[in-house]
Amino acid sequence: MTERIEELYGTARTDAGYMQAALHVEQVSALAYEVAADGPLEGAERAQALRFAAHERQHAAALETMLFALTVPVREHAGPADLDALLPGLREADRRTSLRGLAALEGAAIAGHQLMGRHLLALDALRTVAAVMAGGAQHLVALRDALGRTPLTFAYETGR
Amino acid sequence: MVSLSRRRFLGTAGALAGVLLSACGRDAARRPPPTDAEVIGGLLERELVAGAAVAGVAGAAAIARQDVLHARRLREAAGAMSQRRRSDAGGDLRVALARKQEGVFAYVDSLPRLADPDLRVLVMQLAAGEAAHLAALRIAAGDDPVPDAFAGFSEVPAR
Repeated sequence: MTERIEELYGTARTDAGYMQAALHVEQVSALAYEVAADGPLEGAERAQALRFAAHERQHAAALETMLFALTVPVREHAGPADLDALLPGLREADRRTSLRGLAALEGAAIAGHQLMGRHLLALDALRTVAAVMAGGAQHLVALRDALGRTPLTFAYETGR
Repeated sequence: MVSLSRRRFLGTAGALAGVLLSACGRDAARRPPPTDAEVIGGLLERELVAGAAVAGVAGAAAIARQDVLHARRLREAAGAMSQRRRSDAGGDLRVALARKQEGVFAYVDSLPRLADPDLRVLVMQLAAGEAAHLAALRIAAGDDPVPDAFAGFSEVPAR
């Protein structure tokens, strides 16, 4: 899955290309949290997944607005097939496998945002990208906690 | 709901931009932009303040150690030794959360002012690390680890 997102970013050559890659990952992440909430997650974990899905939609909206500012129309939105391509098996996954997949997705998104930190030419746009990334880093901590992983944080959060 | 949040976030971003621009002023516009070392030096000061606030907070030993690593790396990048006095005695979770949040804001705000791509990536890693610290501290306190989609940026009051 991480490799697929790396490939997605690897095809980007322009600011708009990087934004579109990031937007796709955020849209897929929203779908992934919704599927996990409708599947193996229950109680407080389900409620948290639904809130995180809403966060991902807000992230996508912010990135979409930046694409509009670059006069790039957003014609396609990620759908179930895109989720199956990035996170195959999520629909049938048990609780732990779902949480692991969501954590891997968040980590890959963070790595992609940091790649944008290196390559974006419109540096002002990095503030929005970094705010999205910071939100993702907090999701990742919550997922590590749910998985019982330690440590919850790293000095240099690379998503990996 | 989504569009409201989006408007709120974008409005916040706009307000932040306005504050930043007005803070610069005409005199500031005549000054040369800060060097990367100066930007990193400013972040080091902020990191030291946040690190001092976290020291002594129950359950935050690992975070405090990571803050030491942040400061060391920033000091290397800035090529400077900070002499600034730490303002917080440490041990108060609410103060630590506030200082960490200020750190996230400072790291994110600095990004467009850094010319070196390697430093931008470093600062993004540190920003993500500080945002993660906030979530971990909230978990330790029994609070919601992610109350805001944008790690606090949606909650910045418009000025």
